[in-house]
Amino acid sequence: MTLEAVPPSLRGELSRWLMEVQPGVYVGNATALVRDLLWDKAVQNARTGRCTQIYRANNEQGFAVRMYGDPHRTLVSLDGFQLVAIRNARHIELQGEYDPPEDDDKL
Amino acid sequence: MTGNGAGNGIIWHRQNLRELPKFRDGTSYLYLEHTRLEQDGRGVRAYHPEGMITLPVASLGVLLLGPGCSVSHEAVKALSDTGCSVLWVGEGGVRLYASGLGESRSALRLQRQARLWANPDTRLRVVRQMYAMRFPGGLPDGLTLQQIRGHEGARVRDAYARYSRAYGVRWEQRQYKQTDWERATPINKALSAGNACVYGLAHAAILATGYSPALGFVHTGKMLSFVYDVADLYKIEVVLPTAFREAATPGDDLERRVRTGLRDHMTNLRLLERMAADLHLLLGGDDMDPDPTAPGDLWDPLGDVQGGVNHA
Repeated sequence: MTLEAVPPSLRGELSRWLMEVQPGVYVGNATALVRDLLWDKAVQNARTGRCTQIYRANNEQGFAVRMYGDPHRTLVSLDGFQLVAIRNARHIELQGEYDPPEDDDKL
Repeated sequence: MTGNGAGNGIIWHRQNLRELPKFRDGTSYLYLEHTRLEQDGRGVRAYHPEGMITLPVASLGVLLLGPGCSVSHEAVKALSDTGCSVLWVGEGGVRLYASGLGESRSALRLQRQARLWANPDTRLRVVRQMYAMRFPGGLPDGLTLQQIRGHEGARVRDAYARYSRAYGVRWEQRQYKQTDWERATPINKALSAGNACVYGLAHAAILATGYSPALGFVHTGKMLSFVYDVADLYKIEVVLPTAFREAATPGDDLERRVRTGLRDHMTNLRLLERMAADLHLLLGGDDMDPDPTAPGDLWDPLGDVQGGVNHA
């Protein structure tokens, strides 16, 4: 799990369960239940901060990701393949050009 | 880390081939449409309607580019360096238009394939082996090719009937009109979408392992004959369960659901790994070019002579 700009109490809470290998980066081997509870706790207490959780999953990538709090980054699932989509300046610049064409019946 | 003196970071002139994950360990495929691909830094970025996506191309087996995609020259170079096959496909990945280069640099396997293909005896042996692979219980000895084709037809017909009963989807016949996709029945659409995925994967496996998609053994006369050969080994086992299941489920987005379902199914079957192994089994051996960067030899009827030297 990674935390960014969250209240210190949440960081302390997470460090009870996981090892903080770098500021804001928490690693540990937790059960699925503990992992979900920690995620709920992080999301409820993150306020304006951001958090990410990556955990082992039985899919082709071998892991799954969930993210909270960053309006510019979203997770996209391309036919079941999870990737991060970032809405940056270059994307906005190209957006009009590469959006799918509008359906004729909407015009 | 070695600086190049110009101050703009490191430049690797050649991809270290050892650092590439083996084809069978990679992830199978990624389908994109309405996307612009560019190289940035040393990564490949896709400007997707959802946002900018950095693609893990080095571990990706196949990149399927659908309608509305454009690729920069540098992005293709990066894809080719990492051995990611690029296929240009129709909407929903249901038709294959063109393909790029896989990660093979040696022609040893291609030459062996051509030798097996050119001799009627060895070609027949490969064809028989390919049919035998589809029958777990084995085929009776001494069948003619025509009898083998009969057994294969019965196997396919039985499989369709079995899945049709299991999922309660009415099955009449396999039909698809190239010119009129929308008029096909849902199950036929699901099958076409699923088959296209298997074709793409087989095509990528063939290119990545260094064989030719054109030199087919069972199929013949098309640039993708060998792709059809390889895909036919797995089609029934891989596509039918998913296609019938999704066709039995009501709702939109049938083709996408088939592709998503197939991804899980292919992972469970370890299909990429099996394709690579089966190709080597069929076409024999696994000897590698000792130095893929060295110049190739020159052919001589008495035996190859060393290339890259002046024979004057």
